[in-house]
Amino acid sequence: MKKVAAAGIILIVWLIAGFKTANEISFVIPKGWPKPVYDFKKNPLTESGIALGRKLFYDPVLSRDSTISCMSCHLQFTAFAHVDHALSHGIDGRIGKRNSMSLVNLAWSRRFMWDGSVNHLDVQALAPMSNHLEMDEDIKNVVKKLQAGPVYPPLFQKTFGDSTITGERLLKSISQFMLTMVSANSKYDKMRRGEEKFTEQESNGYKLFQKNCGACHAEPLFTNGQFENNGLAVDTTLNDFGQITVTHRQGDSLKFKVPTLRNIEFSYPYMHDGRFKNLSQVINNYIRGIQHGPTLSPKLKNGIYLSNTEKVDLMAFLLTLTDKEFLFNPAFSPPNK
Amino acid sequence: MNPLFRIFLNHVRAIGCGALLLVNTCVQGQPAVSSIRILPVFQSQKLELNDKFYPLENGDSIQFETLRFYISDIRFYQKNNLVFREKNSYHLVDASLDSSLIINVNTNEELAFNSVRFYIGIDSTTNMSGALGGDLDPTKGMYWAWQSGYINFKLEGKSNRCKTRNNEFMFHLGGYAAPFNSIQEVSIPIRHTDVIQIALELDSFLSQINLATENSVMIPGAQAMRLSALLVNLFHVRGL
Repeated sequence: MKKVAAAGIILIVWLIAGFKTANEISFVIPKGWPKPVYDFKKNPLTESGIALGRKLFYDPVLSRDSTISCMSCHLQFTAFAHVDHALSHGIDGRIGKRNSMSLVNLAWSRRFMWDGSVNHLDVQALAPMSNHLEMDEDIKNVVKKLQAGPVYPPLFQKTFGDSTITGERLLKSISQFMLTMVSANSKYDKMRRGEEKFTEQESNGYKLFQKNCGACHAEPLFTNGQFENNGLAVDTTLNDFGQITVTHRQGDSLKFKVPTLRNIEFSYPYMHDGRFKNLSQVINNYIRGIQHGPTLSPKLKNGIYLSNTEKVDLMAFLLTLTDKEFLFNPAFSPPNK
Repeated sequence: MNPLFRIFLNHVRAIGCGALLLVNTCVQGQPAVSSIRILPVFQSQKLELNDKFYPLENGDSIQFETLRFYISDIRFYQKNNLVFREKNSYHLVDASLDSSLIINVNTNEELAFNSVRFYIGIDSTTNMSGALGGDLDPTKGMYWAWQSGYINFKLEGKSNRCKTRNNEFMFHLGGYAAPFNSIQEVSIPIRHTDVIQIALELDSFLSQINLATENSVMIPGAQAMRLSALLVNLFHVRGL
């Protein structure tokens, strides 16, 4: 009898453990990449958690009047940025203050937003949710709406073991989905892995990139994760001074987050205010338009000089950062109803 | 401790607790619990929210709508030696929610201590730890969305001294990043009793603020630092 009970217990434990491993998903770090910043132990990825986060990401229920979802400003085929909009727009057609950032490789990001105002991926979604120009909603109310409807409680049950919806669970599931958005299959990556070869033009562009751009747009993430003043003239219609508004430090004036260049071909327009429509405007500004000031990045103080041929080569390299597998990965698209 | 004396003591406590209706400290065999009761006070009386208008000098008046703050990292000291530190010690105190005004600290055993220390607010590590649950859940209205971080202390109300919309004042004090880390440590000498009652007297906070000119603080910074520093002196032990 005792043996039967023991076997029963072992079976139950095995079933629970088995279920757990079946549901849990380990985060794959691309070869040669640094260790992620995100602490997965505090929010282990699960199949159901990612699916729940994906559903929330595409659900306008997060906004006050159910018109705006995360997708409204972060579309997959534009590298999860807001296509063709210099400044992102939100609820009631209101125009935001900045160009929405591309969402990619977020597990490696320490600070979020152009000015670094958000300090952790989990709390990132809170900002657009409550911003009156974006979703104009309160997370407390979102939780109430989700708890009251028939759709979400079972999904939370599946993910967290019971159907109680909390702010923590809501945000952690959105994080889970966003963490899976890893782009590591561009031509550049394949070249690094020896699967593809660069053309002569791309190779030359790569060398120019490493010499002139790579200090800030550091490989393999194509951002050093820092905040820099890249010499843009202040747009006096916006008077956006970047990181200083968060830190109150004079030395942080005009510093903005160094964005990744991955999928740059599709994440236009460029810069925190979307002032440049195409990449040649961006490159030309680094060559001719740098505004010198006390907080200008030391890496730009000596200027960047490129001939017309070199500009074309650099552009050719930048296009190797396009990752079609990422941009069209069905796992990141809106879930079926 | 002599076992007979311990039994005697438990009996005394049981009787005492029965009178005070504090069940959780009385059950034999249960781990020891020290209760901290927070009593928000204004003008020497228990603070009343919303309907009550308190008179101020010169015929002015003041009314309170919200008083919420975090107490964290509760520790008991005996002669400056740490004897107990509560794990996961984050408590949201809300003057409108009676249950939040009693914090039961499970000390596991009877302890002798002569002071209690805690923080008003949330430490910087926790502020940088992403989405958290319980009293730290971002749905509690104590988390800033536009700039990550907890509001340590929130006081809202109305006074005719504020020349603002609806005469409102709003103090949302917080900020965890240097040089504007606004968390405050409070240390209170006590005699060990079953219930530690700590009064939070708002009078001295408001007497050091000119409501006509200072009525809205919503961001971390120098002003939040100055006002947060006032909080330390608002807490006093109080007899039952």
